[in-house]
Amino acid sequence: MSQGALALIFSAPAVLIIAATILVPFGMAVFLSLHNWNLKRPGRERFVGLENYSDWLSDRDFWVPLQTTFTFAILAVAVIIIISLLISLLLNERFPGRGVLRALLLVPWAIPSVVNALLWKWLLNPQYGLVNAIFFEFGIITEYQNMLGSMPSVMIWLVIAYSWIHIPLATLLLLSGLQTIPGDIYESAIVDGAGIWQRFLTITLPLLRPMLSIVIIFEMIFAFKVFDIIFVLTAGGPADATNVLGWQIYTETFRKLDFGAGSSIAMLLGGITLALAILFYVFLDKGVEQ
Amino acid sequence: MLRSCKFFAFLSVCILLLTTTALAQDEGLKLTGWPYEVDVVTENLGRFTDQTGHDAVFLPFPSNEYHDKMVASFVAGTEFDVAYVRDSYLAEWASAGWILPITGLPNSEELLADLPQGIIEQMSYDGEVYGLPYYSGVQTMAYNAAHLEAAGIDAPPETWDEMLEQAQAIKDADVVDYPILMQLRSGENYLLREWETLTASRGGRLFDDDFNPLFHLEGSAAWQALDWLTEGLDAGLIDPASLTDDDGTLLMAAGTTSFMTTTDYTLKAMNDPEQSNVAGDIKNALVPGTDEVRSGTWGYVRLYAITANAEDKDAAWQLVQFLGGKDATGVYYVPKRWALEFGLGFSPAPLYEDEEVRNSISGWIDPDLLSEQSEYAISRPYRFVPFFSDWEIGSWGPLQAAILGDADKGQVLSDLADEWNELKEDWGY
Amino acid sequence: MKQRARIRLVVIYIAAAIVLAGTVGPFLWLVSSSFQYERQLLNRPPQWLPNPIVLDSYREIFEGAVMGEDSGVPYQSRIFLRSFANSFFVAGSVAVIAVMAGAYAAYPLARLRFRGRQVLLFAILASRLIPALSLAIPIVLVAKRIGMSDKIVSLVFINLSFILPYVIWLLQSYFKTIPMELEDAGRIDGCSRLQVVHKIILPLSLPGLTSAAILAFLLTWGEFLFALLLSESPSSYTSTVVVSLFATDVDVSFVSIITAGVLSVIPPICFALIFQRYIISGLLSGSLKG
Repeated sequence: MSQGALALIFSAPAVLIIAATILVPFGMAVFLSLHNWNLKRPGRERFVGLENYSDWLSDRDFWVPLQTTFTFAILAVAVIIIISLLISLLLNERFPGRGVLRALLLVPWAIPSVVNALLWKWLLNPQYGLVNAIFFEFGIITEYQNMLGSMPSVMIWLVIAYSWIHIPLATLLLLSGLQTIPGDIYESAIVDGAGIWQRFLTITLPLLRPMLSIVIIFEMIFAFKVFDIIFVLTAGGPADATNVLGWQIYTETFRKLDFGAGSSIAMLLGGITLALAILFYVFLDKGVEQ
Repeated sequence: MLRSCKFFAFLSVCILLLTTTALAQDEGLKLTGWPYEVDVVTENLGRFTDQTGHDAVFLPFPSNEYHDKMVASFVAGTEFDVAYVRDSYLAEWASAGWILPITGLPNSEELLADLPQGIIEQMSYDGEVYGLPYYSGVQTMAYNAAHLEAAGIDAPPETWDEMLEQAQAIKDADVVDYPILMQLRSGENYLLREWETLTASRGGRLFDDDFNPLFHLEGSAAWQALDWLTEGLDAGLIDPASLTDDDGTLLMAAGTTSFMTTTDYTLKAMNDPEQSNVAGDIKNALVPGTDEVRSGTWGYVRLYAITANAEDKDAAWQLVQFLGGKDATGVYYVPKRWALEFGLGFSPAPLYEDEEVRNSISGWIDPDLLSEQSEYAISRPYRFVPFFSDWEIGSWGPLQAAILGDADKGQVLSDLADEWNELKEDWGY
Repeated sequence: MKQRARIRLVVIYIAAAIVLAGTVGPFLWLVSSSFQYERQLLNRPPQWLPNPIVLDSYREIFEGAVMGEDSGVPYQSRIFLRSFANSFFVAGSVAVIAVMAGAYAAYPLARLRFRGRQVLLFAILASRLIPALSLAIPIVLVAKRIGMSDKIVSLVFINLSFILPYVIWLLQSYFKTIPMELEDAGRIDGCSRLQVVHKIILPLSLPGLTSAAILAFLLTWGEFLFALLLSESPSSYTSTVVVSLFATDVDVSFVSIITAGVLSVIPPICFALIFQRYIISGLLSGSLKG
């Protein structure tokens, strides 16, 4: 049997499940994005070709949120990757209690999003919030602040809240990547007199690269679609400072009931993310294969 | 590993079997809404079944996501026969053809005759009434009497300028950091509504009756309202959290805020010793005004409506009548129960005179002041055009920028007026 | 040498303590809050430890689950624990099926040379790039048309299709780290491709498979959007939906939400604790030596 046929058989169940659930809705979304389709105006739906797309591309309401999305995604992915890399290196060491620590690390991710949102709302509250109380106690601030009231602090806190929830996922994956690095490579490096930093740079990082690139791509996809945390903490404000494309899609679709506009902006966001994913893949992952 | 997997697979199958067999198909009417006092609703439905013979079941969804859930449900062809509706999206659901008008249905004239005109307006779209009220009320002012006392103030402010003065005194007396909370967050429950309160109490409106913008005119009440907000924020009297906070009730209950405008029923939580640190200190007063205008406010309605998908429309209308109007014995059973036991605002006129109802709410709000407040309510017909929400969503960012002083007010307001006019023309109004 | 080992452990435990404080710290605030009166959550400065310890919200949830309507506790508390069964069924089935189907799909992507491999890889990922919000209404519409709404089996399918792409990407990257020589040796011994997968690839990928299972379980456990949109009655509510039911338009029962959140964390953490011992290193180095 040819490798192509084998591939087909092996991947059939998974691909069928994905296709069966996604294909028709995806097709509908594409269809809607090519139409003027506002639910509040029944009977007036019409095909408009790429008009929705060209409208968005010439609209500040697309480019400014896009910029905000990029800012958020870059910051969030950087924070998540750096911190989860450090944590996964720690968890890769052998020490008593490691198993418990690994499981506890997943706690932020296991909290239902509704509760997570409430948690951060409460932590950041300008009057009875814990962050204010702690900062005040330690003398970092002299009076209570509204963390979400202005730029850049609102962006910083959004990134912190978002990263807190997402670090467990990245750590889990990076950790499983670290497990694939055979211990004897390190042993021989130590014999050769390589220091910790040197071992990290010459062994860990190159060998972790495939998994690292996957984690970066995953986190990037998540971050570009960010919505939940914005919905709860800022609703795009103050003064549109945190108006990301995910929020824009939500308001167009569910608040204005303008499905044409909502779907087309989602397609644009999907396209941008795909391009970035391919770019990352080529740069990060391909390098290893060759 | 394999053993664990098998175990989980086995467990999953068991649970599946359990849950599918537990799925009892109920025939009868399906009512949906937000999950406020589910058991009371179910009890009421029991009474409905006893009186009419129609089975009815209440299947609620989360309040915060109720609108979005129902949009999806309506598009897919909803299961539900009767649904709760907030007046803020009545126009949307009516224009999409998801809910049905009750105008002309049997008894409707008689039931509507008992309702104040303002309430009927807020249940109407395009000249037709879409339901009967669940609860209703007005925006009023809540203040912390203990804070005022601590700053040596003996009466709540009657004008907005006086509010700033009192706030300054409270701040100077070191009672709280930011005495005033305004709800200026993005979202349909916040910024625009606050702006409407501030504008109405200055004797103005955002739009005229022909849906022409008034807010962008030099010196308009709406413009003055924004100036007042900027002044208060700059002086550190209005809490900067106003721009992001989504639950001012909690800040009042925490005792860190002295003044806010709020929906009447929130005073109940503010004065509940289990939920509030300052229970008993929170009083209601008329929304302040100016030297010329004493006060101004607006009302809200939550209503029951028949969905376009309802199979047995007669039965659905009977249910709406039972819930929002009179039961088979001819009394306002459900509205009175909500008012009496839960303090929810009522609309039918006969209940205003009901002594029992008045006494039940006086524990946490002054009923006389509240009914005086409702006399200052303005009507907002512009909210009941289908493009209002489109315009509103786009207004939050620019308005916040204008209030914060990041953008020129005149420019922002005239841009917003242009956008409105464009939408208005586009929709043929 | 002993001295060094001790220093190493001290450094590790200090780092572990920092990590623990960062990840579990905010959660401990949730736990502490769940034992307080609602008004105490508004204290300034915040009340760190519950005083007195209030068990009401826990009592309501457990009493309500056991006694049903006779308990007299609010509806939301009554149905909360029962919704765990739905959540557990969905998350458990998704974890099992996603790992099985995902592994077979990942193998050819990692190992076989066939035309369109990269395209397939990115097509699978691309299905995750469009924000779920804009696929939501089409999916609900399709589900309703084919009579699949209000069934938790539909939730299994939806979640599977959302999680499979991540699992496939993760596993194909993991499979690539398994040395080709091992597989070639197996082939020479006369193993078919399927046997190679079963006897060599899968056993050696236990850490990767486990991470994938944990990822699938946790993502599904926390899924809210479709759990809400596809349900029409309490029989299909998952725990995330019930948690949000504590907000009622007129009032919000914060302590109940928080308590429900704390309880929601327990099943996924137990799941992780049971399975995470399979995330162990040395599988590969051992097999290479042997």
